[in-house]
Amino acid sequence: MTAYVTDVWQHRHFWLSLVQMDLRARYRRSVLGVGWSLLHPICTTAVLCVAFYKIFNVPVRTYLPFLMCGLSWWGFITGTVGRGCQCFVEAEGYIRQHPAPIAIYPLRAVLGGLIHLLIALAVVLVLTWSLQGFHNLATLPMVAIGLSILLVFGWSMAVLAGYINTIFRDVQHITDIAFQILFYLTPILYPSEILVRSHLAVFVKYNPLTYFLRILREPLLGALPSWRAYAIALGCTVAVTAVAVPLLGRLQRKVILYL
Amino acid sequence: MCRIELDHVSLTFRVREQYQITLKEYLLRGMFRQSRNPLLKVRALRDVSLRFEEGQRVGIIGGNGAGKSTLLRLIAGVYWPNRGRRVVHGKISSLFELNLGFEMEASGRQNIIYRGYLQGETPKSIRQKLPEIAEFSELGRFLDIPVRYYSAGMLVRLGFSIATAVDPDILLIDEVLGAGDLAFRRKAEERMKSLMSRAKIIVIVSHDLGTLAELCETGVWLSQGRVQMVGPMHEVIDAYRQYAESPSTGAGGVIDSPDPLPADFAELTAC
Repeated sequence: MTAYVTDVWQHRHFWLSLVQMDLRARYRRSVLGVGWSLLHPICTTAVLCVAFYKIFNVPVRTYLPFLMCGLSWWGFITGTVGRGCQCFVEAEGYIRQHPAPIAIYPLRAVLGGLIHLLIALAVVLVLTWSLQGFHNLATLPMVAIGLSILLVFGWSMAVLAGYINTIFRDVQHITDIAFQILFYLTPILYPSEILVRSHLAVFVKYNPLTYFLRILREPLLGALPSWRAYAIALGCTVAVTAVAVPLLGRLQRKVILYL
Repeated sequence: MCRIELDHVSLTFRVREQYQITLKEYLLRGMFRQSRNPLLKVRALRDVSLRFEEGQRVGIIGGNGAGKSTLLRLIAGVYWPNRGRRVVHGKISSLFELNLGFEMEASGRQNIIYRGYLQGETPKSIRQKLPEIAEFSELGRFLDIPVRYYSAGMLVRLGFSIATAVDPDILLIDEVLGAGDLAFRRKAEERMKSLMSRAKIIVIVSHDLGTLAELCETGVWLSQGRVQMVGPMHEVIDAYRQYAESPSTGAGGVIDSPDPLPADFAELTAC
């Protein structure tokens, strides 16, 4: 185990430079550069904000950062699983030549997404400060804890997605559909409180993603998440990681046979 | 001390007759009629035991599909044996599938750096080697454009230049002696020779028996995934020549196999 982690660390220059390349390739030949990755959540947020203001009369001042944070987080979750699905298939050329630790390919998938998320969250932070003042400074350090949990969870999910998709190449279609449904069962567009009397409330309550969102969004916007939210998110992360880590040994031996 | 040790190693691939199975098919299997996409077993390596010590230069010969490349990849650690034990001590450098493992959107120069890192270089050491690698590849201005625009030969040039820029203990070579065009080939051969003089163990897979006789003193002849013969290179080559040129080849005349197969292909059976 320690030897494996050391091996991953020794390859750090390799996967870090690939993450850097992924980020650069995404914006190559674009005038706005990193701007494009921000433009998407910003535009979606703006459109939804105007629509919901007109229909439900939501208060823009609080809704705007709330929505953008949720959408950026959602982009990270779907992006990590999507890239994760491809992570071993994409790395076939490397895997065929060099017995590097297999864990670095899902790491590549999750780190790129995390950097995007960080950039988007910086914008959310500026939005919050300009719209609501600096009332969130006290809870801001807690964001780091949420992000750390999210990073480990994302990596484990990428390992699982990559594993399943390497054997059955149609998994990505299934996850796409699942995400369509999950998007509405996670309190991204709406705060979970407004569901109290709806049948949906049960689904949202038992959807673990809800808690991964809460431990990130609440401290960013100035509230302290309940210890229960942390416990559930942490519990799920431990559970998924407990499946992903033992799988690495099997992947190291077998993944090449499915490429 | 460098060493390669294979102890009763077997490797079996499982392949589908027609296409890779989908999750939908996997879950629905058995609900309808029997799948028309049966699973087959390829016994690529069977009970291979070999031992190479420091200073040995090994040539592996055999027909197409006999398991030569698979054996090389198993030594490299890319494939893992189903059964048996593989012990390899020493830093490995492998020269095979040189046109694979590039980031298509990145430039040639960037790719030199990525592959260098994969081979264990540090930012400092790769910066020192970069000019030399770039010069050897002779790709000039092409190094600054994405690899996507390279021809197959240019990719091999780049791959070869990177892979041969390290100082390995163990050098594994799969038929790359004929890389690139004529001018590059001469250069590549020279580079290979200097690399071989520094490496401690060398294993080469090739169909070029003349070159092998020149470069190696130990020979291994593989057939149907089995080691047919190990010994001094020229003796192994003689035996192989005799077998390959004999009229009974193809009917499995020379090979004492319970189930004679055409040519040297690994055995393919239903699971």
